[in-house]
Amino acid sequence: MSEPEPPRTAATPADARADDRGERPLIPLGIERALGAIAMLLICVISFANVVVRYAIDVSFAFTEEWSVFLLMFMTFAGASLAFARDGHIRIRFFVDKLPPRLRAASEAVVVAASLTILALLVYYGGQLTWDQYVFEDTSPGLGYPRWIYSIWMPILALVAIGRVIGWTVRRVRRRP
Amino acid sequence: MISGNLVLIAVLAALLVLGVPIAVALGLAGAAAVATGLDVTSVGMIATNAYASVAKYPLIAIPLFILTGMVFERSGVALRLITLARAIVGPRRGGLAVVAVLVCLLMGGMSGSGPADAAAVATVMVPSMLKAGYPKPFSAGVIAASASTAILIPPSIALILYSILVPGTDLRALFAGGLVPGVLAGAAVAIPAVLLSRRYDFGVLESGDNRPPFWNSLREAVPGLMAPVIILGGLRSGLFTPTEAAVVAVAYGLFVGCLLYRTMGLRDVYETMADAAETSAVIMFVIALSGLFAWAGSTLGAFDAAAEAILATTDQGWLVLLMVMAVLLVAGMVLDGVSIYLITIPLLMPIATAFDWNLTWFGVLMAMNIAIGQFTPPVAVNLIVTAQVSGVSIESTIPWVLWMVLSMALALGLVIFFPELALWLPEALGYRT
Repeated sequence: MSEPEPPRTAATPADARADDRGERPLIPLGIERALGAIAMLLICVISFANVVVRYAIDVSFAFTEEWSVFLLMFMTFAGASLAFARDGHIRIRFFVDKLPPRLRAASEAVVVAASLTILALLVYYGGQLTWDQYVFEDTSPGLGYPRWIYSIWMPILALVAIGRVIGWTVRRVRRRP
Repeated sequence: MISGNLVLIAVLAALLVLGVPIAVALGLAGAAAVATGLDVTSVGMIATNAYASVAKYPLIAIPLFILTGMVFERSGVALRLITLARAIVGPRRGGLAVVAVLVCLLMGGMSGSGPADAAAVATVMVPSMLKAGYPKPFSAGVIAASASTAILIPPSIALILYSILVPGTDLRALFAGGLVPGVLAGAAVAIPAVLLSRRYDFGVLESGDNRPPFWNSLREAVPGLMAPVIILGGLRSGLFTPTEAAVVAVAYGLFVGCLLYRTMGLRDVYETMADAAETSAVIMFVIALSGLFAWAGSTLGAFDAAAEAILATTDQGWLVLLMVMAVLLVAGMVLDGVSIYLITIPLLMPIATAFDWNLTWFGVLMAMNIAIGQFTPPVAVNLIVTAQVSGVSIESTIPWVLWMVLSMALALGLVIFFPELALWLPEALGYRT
């Protein structure tokens, strides 16, 4: 996010897309977007370096698998949070679109409740998992790092996603006439 | 135990119909089933399961191939492929429709899923097709249908996932297996498109004046055409694993976009990375939360019970196969390919094993089914995209699209009755099928 803002509307592209259907999120979506992009870039760099090195000196980096897999998880949860803020998750809209407005609102309430429940489960049990790994000093099989430094990001990002679901709900309710 | 199974299916179905995100619905159905069928403490499995479900090295190929597709779409390759295809096909009734099919097939060889291809091709082709006398709903239908072949033409996100979910299958064999059925599916779109164009005189306004020169177009398109060569050739020669092929293709795509065509700047690279990350995350999130669903289903025996129930109705393999195909077709109309694989594979594998179906062939059949579902109204991801890009309603495309649904279903029938269509190439290349 450090690059100079182009001379135009204040919204980043990420927010602009949320904007055309309502007000903009309080905390810019560009944050998760940047996190996702960085994770993607790192995955590319690590995988590419691995190919080059494997052909050049016929060994593969020991750390590639462990880091790549962590970055994949990180990208998944950061992007999922973004998708919650934008209603971008894959879902079947066909049936609810046929409902009268009142029932559709009810179905949206179910969507919000279900999303919050699953994210809360991920925060709680993910936190517990991380705590257990911390207490029992679990180390990763590949590099021998403490495992909690990887797993802690799942509950953290799930918590961020909870904020995004709440933000989406607030904007959605305000928009209703 | 039975109550747990019932909860699993009932909660999933109810939440899906209510429009809950598929990932969330899968996770909650799994959690609810575990809580009722086993005990509440087992719900804690959800965290370990979600983490373990995405933290798999072979899955890295999925975001990388999504990125590959996006890089090539934005590098201006689509435009040059269209020019080349126009130079080859030439002006004739139905000519541009065939061009659209050819370009979608080629784009499918660079990306792993249909909707993005559909959007890229529709944006460029629908206006020029309109000028040549093709009505927009027809063009939207043709492009939606031909973009659906991306799931069959390697690289395919769905087939990558299949190879991970079904132990013992070789991704290279699946990729090779999808190629011939993919081209067949492309022909199944092109033939009705040409016949309809002749019947209704579409494309009469195509003039010969602006037919692009062949050699020039070819030279321009070669960098794009090299992408499938690098991906498939790299895999075939054993030079690259699928993940490596994907990252090499990304690097090559960035080289083409940033240095060769000079259509992409740093800002575009960032946006492409971010968009690919987001698209991948949405898919990976479904994979993450399907973990608990699959675990609950197999631990509680829901999948085995359902498979047994189906097997009890008949011992005729082909009858079961037709039933399975029908169900997948309907599922393909409301769900995306990845979700269908995640939900149905645990159920279908016992059936496939019972009848001793070839698993490579079966994976290709599933992909073909899902491809048809992607452009079958009313719910069709590709059609939604192309209709939106062309500014027409989905309903208006139905009279055209139904012909292509019908002919691709015939193509599916061919692959069902002649498994060699899927299995010949991987066997010829020496892969274990």
